Amino acid sequence: MKSTWSLCVALAVSLGIILVAGYPVSPQDEEYVLVNNKCQCVTVTSKFVPSKEDPEEEVLERNIRIIVPLKARENISDPLSPPRTTFVYRLSELCRNCEPVEIDLGGVIYQAQQGNSCEEPQTCYTYDRNECYSSPVPLLYHGEVRQVPAALTPASCFTE
Amino acid sequence: MTLLAFLLLLALVPAESARGRHLPAAAISSPVFGPRQVYGVLGGSVTVRCFYPPTPVNRHDRKYWCRQAGSGCPTVVSTQYVAPAYQGRVALTDHPQAEHFQINISALELGDAGTYQCGVGVNGRGLSYRVTLSVVEAPPVPETPELFYVKLRSTWTVTCSFGEDTVEMKKYLCKKEKEGCRNIINSYQELGSIQLTFEEPPGSFRVTMTQMDWEDAGVYYCGAGEYGKDKTSKELEVFIYEDKTFPHLKTDITAKNGSSATFECPYEPLIDSATRFWCKRDGRICNRIIDNSGFVAKKYKGRVAAFENPENKTVAIILNQLQYEDEGFYWCMSNELREQQSSAELRVVAGQPALTGKKEVEARVGSWVNLTCCYPCTYSSYEKFWCRWNGTGCAMLPAQPGLPQPGDTCGPSSRTLVLSLGPLAEEDEGWYWCGLKRNGLFGETMAVQLRLSAGSDAKLSPEFLDVDSSRDPGAAPPGGAHSDAEVRKGAAPESSDESHGSNTLGLVLGPLAGLILLVVTAFAIVKYRQMKRSDLVSVGSYRTNISMSDFESVRDFSASNCVKESQETPMGGDEFITTTDTPESAADTTKAKRSSKEDADLAYSSFLVTSSSIAQGSSGGDSAVLDPSPPQHRD
Repeated sequence: MKSTWSLCVALAVSLGIILVAGYPVSPQDEEYVLVNNKCQCVTVTSKFVPSKEDPEEEVLERNIRIIVPLKARENISDPLSPPRTTFVYRLSELCRNCEPVEIDLGGVIYQAQQGNSCEEPQTCYTYDRNECYSSPVPLLYHGEVRQVPAALTPASCFTE
Repeated sequence: MTLLAFLLLLALVPAESARGRHLPAAAISSPVFGPRQVYGVLGGSVTVRCFYPPTPVNRHDRKYWCRQAGSGCPTVVSTQYVAPAYQGRVALTDHPQAEHFQINISALELGDAGTYQCGVGVNGRGLSYRVTLSVVEAPPVPETPELFYVKLRSTWTVTCSFGEDTVEMKKYLCKKEKEGCRNIINSYQELGSIQLTFEEPPGSFRVTMTQMDWEDAGVYYCGAGEYGKDKTSKELEVFIYEDKTFPHLKTDITAKNGSSATFECPYEPLIDSATRFWCKRDGRICNRIIDNSGFVAKKYKGRVAAFENPENKTVAIILNQLQYEDEGFYWCMSNELREQQSSAELRVVAGQPALTGKKEVEARVGSWVNLTCCYPCTYSSYEKFWCRWNGTGCAMLPAQPGLPQPGDTCGPSSRTLVLSLGPLAEEDEGWYWCGLKRNGLFGETMAVQLRLSAGSDAKLSPEFLDVDSSRDPGAAPPGGAHSDAEVRKGAAPESSDESHGSNTLGLVLGPLAGLILLVVTAFAIVKYRQMKRSDLVSVGSYRTNISMSDFESVRDFSASNCVKESQETPMGGDEFITTTDTPESAADTTKAKRSSKEDADLAYSSFLVTSSSIAQGSSGGDSAVLDPSPPQHRD
């Protein structure tokens, strides 16, 4: 059945089972976030679960959740671009961490980047809820055509 | 619905030693929080309160309350709509400043029981919380836990009261785990970052927990006596959410013995009338050190100062002259604003502080004195300042250049910061701080205590004998610290250093330039001579006196002179490239594969003889001109 405009397909859990023999059992069976990519709508979490072959041992299980926005445009900032039909997800790109981290070297604090090739921005397939997206719209005003930015995500465009 | 199955590419994941750096899954799950279970009496009314993070998006977005039915969730009431079946019975009110919205359902029917979702945005997108509504026929209504919506890294305060008969019993707060309830704090314990205080009326107590982290979310029980045995307990549920605008304050501070440490306290500049104080935890008591009414504990005179920063909404408190006894937990407290409280742990380790200098200085009233402060060169890009301690703060002093006292000079790897004072009066006695600052954040500070003695007794230490002479501009400053004497916030000392550096630069550049000039001249001369020679040679080559037979007899020749391309004659398997350049360069660029070296030599010398005779005939230049640098044999 067809659903409404933005989300159609949710990808189910993919299991990655890796045998980690003899790893000490951690006291907290917590799930940890590895990737939380708002641009391409991918989250990857991992946790230790008892192995199927040998319940005594624990294996690392990775859960990858991808929501594919089937009705998105090629360029999300341009509503007149054609609909996107190809979605490429690269785990290496998603696992890249471009957040700067503070390192203390000899008493002086520096900001360090944790990933390589952080200069190329990722192509976004969907909107980040906390960011405002707008597109210029030609409006006829007092006889002249002016390009006015129109909000594509009105709720996110409030400043306060 | 088509389900696409992706094959995972797996790599062997090493044991996750970096696990501590990853957020728990709770960090990315829905930040909307509400009661899990709500009870209402038949015919009565019920109120459901749902919390959400107060970001601008969330505050303006649609709020909804929908009833789960199958895989969908049809809206019952939202900020823009009320379902017809519920007209007049349900109301939704949003309180964006209080971070929650409220749903009121009145005239409850039995059919109202079921599973609902309260959320923000669009139904079914995941930004919601599941609530189960149950309708009971008659009161009493089962008790539901008290909800707390706590910001990450902030403080949680809860007050529990159980009546006067519990005064003698132990009070506790424990966290519900898979098996039982893990004790967090009780009235017999003393912890650093968690505080339990007794309140009025008797039998009630308050627990303040600072530095709340993701793992602190969950169900808690506060009570009197023993958990499970006594009935006096209250259920609490805590939810942690992240607020990106909340300042990230350091909670673990390590400083060297003798140096200083900077603590940060959050504060709301708009609610300035509240009492705020900073204290050190000593068991159950927190000994006040400094507060915003001007009070400073006697033991800390000259050692502690507070700097307000309304932009970052923090107050920086600096404690210097640290000793090992200063280790412990320090709390920023406020009686009215419980949420603004925070705590930090200070650890003092052995080591050398970065700022060094004389800590105690004595001087006569009416004289001049220079206070010196030495800092390592690594801090040269930092902002440096001197300030005067005045009770609760430290007033910045304007730049006053001066030279260090004799005997006060810093080591070779450090620079000097000097404060010149005078003529000294009685009021100038006190503490002066020299410090570092970068990007608005305070670094290390050092305190110097200035003591004054009246009269001109011989109490003075010998170093101060030439206090007056040091002011004399003609006097040569002993110690040779002139080159690196510096002013606070000084551009001047930097330039003196630079000029010093530029002198050496000049010294190096001078001879280097001379050398280059020499080389260039020599090259020019040689080139000129070559050009002259080339003229000769090119004139010679235009002559038709050269018979081709001469060339043919020569097996191959190094094209030392300019052979034009048209005359290029590849012979045998040999290959050579000739240019019309000067003989020098022509010799350089020729590449010839020779079958035998002797052959080449013979050919070359015979050719030379021929061409030199021509040249002699033309201009009378000597044959030596034609002779290029010894033919390079490239084999």
